[in-house]
Amino acid sequence: MTDSAAEARIDHALATRARLDGDRQAFEHLVRRHQGMVRAQLRKLLRDDDAAADDLAQETFVLAWRKLDQFRGEARFSTWLHRIAYTCFLQSRRSPARHAAAEAMETLEAPAQRIDLQLDIERGMRRLSAAEQAVLLHCAQLGLSHEEAAYVLAMPLGTVKTHALRGKAKLKTWLAGWRDPAALEETP
Amino acid sequence: MNAPDDEMIETLLRREFEGPVPDDGFSERVMRRLPPRRRRWPLWSGALLGAVACALCLADAPWLQAGWRDWRAGELSPPLLGTWLLMLAVAWLAAAWGLADRAER
Repeated sequence: MTDSAAEARIDHALATRARLDGDRQAFEHLVRRHQGMVRAQLRKLLRDDDAAADDLAQETFVLAWRKLDQFRGEARFSTWLHRIAYTCFLQSRRSPARHAAAEAMETLEAPAQRIDLQLDIERGMRRLSAAEQAVLLHCAQLGLSHEEAAYVLAMPLGTVKTHALRGKAKLKTWLAGWRDPAALEETP
Repeated sequence: MNAPDDEMIETLLRREFEGPVPDDGFSERVMRRLPPRRRRWPLWSGALLGAVACALCLADAPWLQAGWRDWRAGELSPPLLGTWLLMLAVAWLAAAWGLADRAER
């Protein structure tokens, strides 16, 4: 059995205990096991606004506790949590205060000069469409499969694959300048 | 340096991701915020008992019996309309209760 399958079995057992017996300790184990990735997901979605991301992460776990009856085990528990977190993120964008904060983050000035390839990929990610960013975040960074990303983002599988391909193609185009170091110096 | 390929883009994206956030008391804060878990069976038992009690009380009501009789006979009458209105009201209340309960959860 792979590590990932073993982890999923442990999560499932803990979730069952929490759901059937109202076992808070089991749920606490689940929070400790997954808080790191859920918070990282939300920090990325909220452009490193750590405080807002942690607020949403708390909301995510409270919702997960309330909705445990709806967890049937058709997806991994971690994937189910990512889906709740993404839904919380979308809902937060609908509220004016948080939405304004998110917009402000999007219009931040990029550094005037290219420092290195890593910085460029970060800038490139910000230039992608919201859907492409979300797909690449979940697939390439959080390590979800296309199927899992489709479940989290509530998108058809084909759409997820298309966004992943397009996003990577755009990044490749934007980073093509790295072929010629001289061109890099000229481009701000 | 060559133009980046798919694999390199994925490597760069992975490297750009800082990884899981350290706990730093987050889990404890979440656990303090958790509401008590509600059991479902007292609610449904209460609803069932209420429905049975209501049915027993209304079973002998003359207008309800008249409405039921007219319904079977296919006659549109005031008692039948009253029966339908009552059924509609109960169904509406049950739906509103269910939706409110779901939203609260």
